[in-house]
Amino acid sequence: MLLALIKKELLALARDMHGLAALFLMPMIFIVLMSLTLKDIYRPPLAELSYAIDVRDNGTPAQWLLQVWRRSHGAPKPLDANWEAQLRSGALKYVIVLEPGLSAELESAALSTKAQIRLLAEPGIDANLFNALRAELVGASGELKARLALAVPGTSGPPPGASIQALVNAERYSTAGSRPTSVQQNVPAWLVFGMFFVVASLSSLFVQERSSGALGRLRSLGVSRLMLLVSKALPYLGVNALQAVLMLAAGIWLMPLIGGDALSLSGIHWGALLLALAAVSLAAVSLSLALACLVRSHAQAATVGPMVNVLMAAAGGIMVPKFVMPGFMQRLVEVSPMNWGLEALLTVLLRGGGVADTLPQVGRLVMFAAAMFVLAVFLFRRPAP
Amino acid sequence: MLELKDLGYRYPHTERPALAEVSLAVPRGCVMGLLGPNGAGKTTLISHLSGALAVQSGEILIDGQPLQHVRAKAPTRIAVAPQEQAFYPMLTVAENLACFAAAGGLSGERKKARIEACTSFSQLEQFANVRAERLSGGLKRRLNLAIALLPEPELMLFDEPTVGVDPQSRAFILDAIKSLAQQGAAVIYASHYMEEIEAIADRVAILDHGRVLRQGSLDELLSRSAMLLTLAADGLDEQKLSRFGTVEPGGVHWRVHLHEGIGPGLVLQALEAEGMAVRHAEFGRHDLEQLFMALTHRSLRD
Repeated sequence: MLLALIKKELLALARDMHGLAALFLMPMIFIVLMSLTLKDIYRPPLAELSYAIDVRDNGTPAQWLLQVWRRSHGAPKPLDANWEAQLRSGALKYVIVLEPGLSAELESAALSTKAQIRLLAEPGIDANLFNALRAELVGASGELKARLALAVPGTSGPPPGASIQALVNAERYSTAGSRPTSVQQNVPAWLVFGMFFVVASLSSLFVQERSSGALGRLRSLGVSRLMLLVSKALPYLGVNALQAVLMLAAGIWLMPLIGGDALSLSGIHWGALLLALAAVSLAAVSLSLALACLVRSHAQAATVGPMVNVLMAAAGGIMVPKFVMPGFMQRLVEVSPMNWGLEALLTVLLRGGGVADTLPQVGRLVMFAAAMFVLAVFLFRRPAP
Repeated sequence: MLELKDLGYRYPHTERPALAEVSLAVPRGCVMGLLGPNGAGKTTLISHLSGALAVQSGEILIDGQPLQHVRAKAPTRIAVAPQEQAFYPMLTVAENLACFAAAGGLSGERKKARIEACTSFSQLEQFANVRAERLSGGLKRRLNLAIALLPEPELMLFDEPTVGVDPQSRAFILDAIKSLAQQGAAVIYASHYMEEIEAIADRVAILDHGRVLRQGSLDELLSRSAMLLTLAADGLDEQKLSRFGTVEPGGVHWRVHLHEGIGPGLVLQALEAEGMAVRHAEFGRHDLEQLFMALTHRSLRD
């Protein structure tokens, strides 16, 4: 009996093109689009921004600063007469103005009290990029000033490539050794989103069964409510597993083919990955069952499930990474089951975590799944209105 | 086979009971026609028998056993063919039959045999691989019927099974249901179509406001009903006619349900004595529709 009911669910899903698209195509498209769009979020394209320099000081130290900047950012664009308009429109991303007196200031042993270098950025520039450019400019000019102040006449200069930058080594630390990329972030994010999207297909068929009388007919044949719920849960757990395989495969093999970074699974703890995926799947299917039992009409099924999903995604760090959110929002996202799932997967895929590291999120997901399943049973027992 | 004793049911937050003191008996081999206007209680009664509603008061017995015991032990002894097309439109006819056969506990050779038998009985063989959503209205009704028959139920409930079908499919469905009773099943057939009830029902129950107004064989019901005299004459009014029986006001034709012991000759004689020229007179017993309308007082329902 259970196998026949599972087969019915799978046949119904296989013949629902919209449902299939929502479950498989949509997360795949999101992974590709968002990974490519956010490709540089972990590697800000500082060196690729078009810029110009307005040199109003022709002293040697100012020229040295210019050379240092050219080395790391390429040649500047010619400074046209309408450079201010170009900057406002974004044609130029930034302009560095070297004010008269800069060379004297760089040669002076005293710390600066007046701005001699102006960094003018286009209005829409990303705050992180702006801060990175500013920090780099401060660092380059500070280093130059220090070199000039400490230079001893008659001694040789520093070796090529030597810089105060060499003093600091900064890297994202991960025991798994996988390089943080937008793919590494977006595959788990949109995989979690896609897994929770089973609510749309599940509740749509459930409402159809109830309104057509098919569900009543199954009940009158003696099929228990528990059997009906289990026969719906099992195929969608399988659908979630298939989604996971396809989305991970897309990250590993498809993304490099279309110019993105490849998802790396090297060095990850496979048991932890499977555990995290299973917990996400249980939570997603149980939530879907509860919502399917809650809604009474096709209109409700078409809106409530996707709406809950989008809200959970928006407030769960799926659409906007948690680390760019303000403090209170970062605390808010911790109530979203999608965030628990995402954090569990990121723990495995980005941080090289094992089973024990994922347990806090996995525990929450399993408890959430149990609560939702109990709610589904309760709602299923409600008499028809 | 089926016996209802003083069955009563009241939905939460309602003043009037949906069913009150309903007592009925449907033996094997019998088609019980269930008539009632909208809101009469037919759906509530069917919901009880399908197991969707629990008994609040009274009893439902199957061969002397309480319904809930029978349903718990062998739910497929009773089958309901609901008014809706209670199957999966995206599945083919064969897939639907396989799904419901398995849900009814059939497996192996028996399942295969029952699917073949029901497909054949409903003449759906050439549509086995057609998705249910692509079937005509009549074919969908036949699929609904085939699914109901899968577990070989002893008691079958059909809730308006011919709504929206062509005359050929209607005749086929009626014949099929009649043959089920002839093979020994007990059948309850709920419908608004009087001619269908007259065509296949061995017994009829008329239900309104949750109560059984009349029940018995068709002949019994019609023979027990009042004699009806339909008259047309200038100057007729309710006052002149009410001494002979219950009057149904009419425009041109007045209908009088004659009191016991009053014949049409007496009425005509009295009217002529009052100087009225009777242009039209028709006399006889009610047909089922007239009886139904008289009992339910012709008022419009939901």
